[in-house]
Amino acid sequence: MDPLGAVFAVLTLVIFICAGIFALDYMKGKERRKSFGVFFAASMLVEILLCAASNLVTFYLCYELLTLISMPLVIHDRTKEAKMAALKYMFFSLFGAYFALFGIYNLGRFAGSLDFIMGGSVDAATWEQHGTILMITAMSLILGFGVKAGMWPMHSWLTSAHPVAPAPASAVLSACVVNAGVLGIIRSLWYVLGSINLKGSPVQTAFMSLSLVTVLMGSVLAYREPVLKKRLAYSTVSQMSYILFGLSVSFGVYDSDNALSSISYSSDALTGAILHVMAHAFIKAALFLTAGAIIHHTKAVKVEDMRGIGLKMPFVMICYTIVALGLIGIPPTGGFVSKWYLATGALSADIPVFSYLGPVILLISALLTAGYLLKLTIIGFFPGEEYRLSHAGEDIKGYRPGLLMALPIATLTLLSVMTGLYPEPVIELIRQIFI
Amino acid sequence: MTIAFTLDNFRITYICIATFMWVVSLVLSYEYMRHYERKGRFYIFTLLTYVATVGVFLAADFYTMFIFFEIMSLASYVWVAFDERAASLRAADTYLAIAIIGGLTMLMGLFLLYDAVTDIGMDGSLRFNSLKYLYDSMRLMGDDRGVRQIWAAGLCMLVGFGAKAGAFPLHIWLPKAHPVAPAPASALLSGMLTKTGILGILMLSRYIFLPIFADKSSWSALILITGVLTMATGAVLAIFSVDIKRTLACSSVSQIGFILTGIGVSGLAASDLALSGSLLHMVGHSVFKLILFAAAGVIYMNVHKLDLNSLRGYGRRKPLLKLIFLSGALGIGGIPLFNGYISKTLIHEGITALESYMYYGGAAALSYDIIKYTEWIFLISGGCTVAYMLKLYICIFVEKNKDADIQAVYDEGKPYMNRATATALTVAALIPPALGLTPGYTMRTIVDICADALVINRDAEYMLESFFTSECLKGAIISIAIGIVIYAGIIRNVLMTEEDEYTDKWPGWLDLEDKLYRPVVLYALPFVAAVVCRFLDKLVDITIYFLRKGIFADSGEKEELAEGNRLTYCLGVIAGKLNRIRRRYLKLKGVRVGKPVNFVHKFAMDYESLKESRTVIFRSMSFGLMMFCLGLVLTVAYILITRWW
Repeated sequence: MDPLGAVFAVLTLVIFICAGIFALDYMKGKERRKSFGVFFAASMLVEILLCAASNLVTFYLCYELLTLISMPLVIHDRTKEAKMAALKYMFFSLFGAYFALFGIYNLGRFAGSLDFIMGGSVDAATWEQHGTILMITAMSLILGFGVKAGMWPMHSWLTSAHPVAPAPASAVLSACVVNAGVLGIIRSLWYVLGSINLKGSPVQTAFMSLSLVTVLMGSVLAYREPVLKKRLAYSTVSQMSYILFGLSVSFGVYDSDNALSSISYSSDALTGAILHVMAHAFIKAALFLTAGAIIHHTKAVKVEDMRGIGLKMPFVMICYTIVALGLIGIPPTGGFVSKWYLATGALSADIPVFSYLGPVILLISALLTAGYLLKLTIIGFFPGEEYRLSHAGEDIKGYRPGLLMALPIATLTLLSVMTGLYPEPVIELIRQIFI
Repeated sequence: MTIAFTLDNFRITYICIATFMWVVSLVLSYEYMRHYERKGRFYIFTLLTYVATVGVFLAADFYTMFIFFEIMSLASYVWVAFDERAASLRAADTYLAIAIIGGLTMLMGLFLLYDAVTDIGMDGSLRFNSLKYLYDSMRLMGDDRGVRQIWAAGLCMLVGFGAKAGAFPLHIWLPKAHPVAPAPASALLSGMLTKTGILGILMLSRYIFLPIFADKSSWSALILITGVLTMATGAVLAIFSVDIKRTLACSSVSQIGFILTGIGVSGLAASDLALSGSLLHMVGHSVFKLILFAAAGVIYMNVHKLDLNSLRGYGRRKPLLKLIFLSGALGIGGIPLFNGYISKTLIHEGITALESYMYYGGAAALSYDIIKYTEWIFLISGGCTVAYMLKLYICIFVEKNKDADIQAVYDEGKPYMNRATATALTVAALIPPALGLTPGYTMRTIVDICADALVINRDAEYMLESFFTSECLKGAIISIAIGIVIYAGIIRNVLMTEEDEYTDKWPGWLDLEDKLYRPVVLYALPFVAAVVCRFLDKLVDITIYFLRKGIFADSGEKEELAEGNRLTYCLGVIAGKLNRIRRRYLKLKGVRVGKPVNFVHKFAMDYESLKESRTVIFRSMSFGLMMFCLGLVLTVAYILITRWW
């Protein structure tokens, strides 16, 4: 396992363990606990295998397996909605995977090997000769793996599938499983195809446009969505495309200071993307677990019905607020650092229009993020005089979540703040990955 | 990027002021908050805001400043929303929206600045000191793209800082937030938090946009115009207001305008007179607003009302409160012997100096007329300040209440504040006259020790030798005269009803927030965006739906046909349709038609009989013979043909 895989694998491990501990309490007394546990653990295993894969074929196998193994988590409730969502999940994921598979076939023909080597193994002569087909290959890889990361236009499975799963499953689906798509794009473009050749090509423009459209669309729809878990799913769509945008502007630069052949893949935007993978994973897992805790204790699903929740579950809601500020990108939390790197990286990439458009859209999206996340904090902690009068003397002891619920949420919150306060080791590690 | 702090005399001064203000506010809030629930929340966030505010003042670069600025903005949200009444929550929403929009715009500015700075190889440090003269030096180097980018960055950051300072047109949160927040919090919001915005604008104007050639400084022109608009808007709003805290809040907007005007003028002029004035007015305004809001808080905690008609006559028999309020009012009104006079005179002298410089042919980024108007708007706004402070003072401390019973209660002489509050407020109230009486010593010292941090050019004239010359007094006297005229002419006559009551005659359609910002930001934009995004969201789903209804649809053949085959069924349907048309045509012509024929059935029957006869034929001996004969004929024909060729 190389350092990049290790970053993703550790992330997976931490989040699955946190969500798993949460699930011990959350799933207590619910049906089909065993099947949930089995598929939950299996998903974790498969995702770690995916991170550990060292060539594209292995990666693809794990990728398909991950789709299949995590499907039962979606269908767990066996309601009609859950079944339809699971079908949609399967359809979109497989569709995307076949797109990616088409790309992989092409790579099999043109690349020297499908092993992961930084900078890729398609030589310059091949690029010269088969440029067009390699561009198509790159685009189909981006579209194919992009499905898993919820990139427009193939994102709508995410907002159907993630909210219907039980909360711990939503957390891992939204925080970890979507990362498989990001890893897929990095692995295939940076490690096999050679991303530098895509620099300035229509593929890059398309990739940037798609990710920015997704960022904006996800945020706007999250802002308009009344159901909390659905809102968080739309938020995932939007936030994952921050990462994809970070990838799309950093296909590497020719290092003019050194010899001719030297290419530098390290860039601020790429650092920001990986940092945002981490920040988003911790934050989104914490948010879904918080939503789970709220739903578990109050049965409310819409944000409007959660008025006064901060008085009933203060600890959970304080954690919620901290991670929400992180996702908006308010310093000093993790989201701010990653956004800083993403935006300054995009600006320094000097791509016409997109260098400026990107940061602007990221900030508009941050504004919308504030709108859709802080709403719950506000009505949670400041329910208004009327609510206080009508709910005076209500017993709120029963809403306190147990240790098994509070601990994972607190851990994830702490981790998300830590990535903001002390990001240097991670940044250093990422610099080493993308030399 | 890492966090960096710095400490110089200017910052020490301001942190001392901040600490003093927090101490006085906390002393007041001990009494003020006696009957409130959830006090813990208030104190925790008050302290958090203090830490963040000190962080803003200590910051050595824009990055650090931004971080603490954001923490401060969010922590102070709790002040505004504190009592959870509907009006508070609404004001708090506005406050938060402005804070977040301002913060994100500022962040965009930081991105642009950082990028521009790294592009010219300055290792990306945003330290104030390393950015001095940045804009003009890039202009001299002819780096057009960099110049544009820095200008855009400055504009974005100006929006962020200006929103917090309360500059036009982002001043809307001040008049809403101050009346609903607890009085100690209002004092801090108005006295300190707006000053952090000013600090940011100072850092922009005195470092990045510090002009090498003052006559080309379009940035200073922008600041000047913003300042003038803010000054005038605030003053007019304050005159119209009939709520004591709202009046004070609008007054804050106006005073911020004075400060901005001073900053702008000193960027255009060769001397830094106006900047010294702005600096002193900044310090002074912190103290005035502390005194005035605290006095308003003392009134509110006894009466629990804020509108002037109910408060009328409250302070008639309260000499200490009267003196405290008077100190703040005279200070902010710019009356000689109080420090407001000194700072306003300095700004005014700065404007007139620039004016005379231009009169004799000096060049500046703005035309002579605009500077001339600026001077008059400055004097009139100063007059408005006198007028609305007069309005407050006369209403609360001179006039009698319309209701004699209430006036009797007000005059009872009950203790209305405890000794700690009284002491703290008295100490605060001593500051304006103390500073105003010794300008040559105290005020000059403040300017001297802060000069380096604000890059005040001490080689040129930056401070007046004497403030009590006829030249200086003239400005103040004009302002005071205008103030008295406005009070007597407009406030007493136009803005009061026949029954001698204060009414708010501010036209409702001029409310920027309700009529422009809220409908656009809350309804129009989200609606349009949501329509577009919903379409994008459903694009694939819609495609799949139509594919399933279209080329991937089921054949539509529900079950086996009852009779006949598909051909007869189709022909039957077509024939039936044609027949129906024929029958309708015949009916129109008046021809009698019989019962309609079921062609589907008819063709099916025909087909059945055909099939039956076919079976009979196929199985017969004669059919076999016929096929045999045909075979023979074909064979013979083949043989013959091959023979001939």
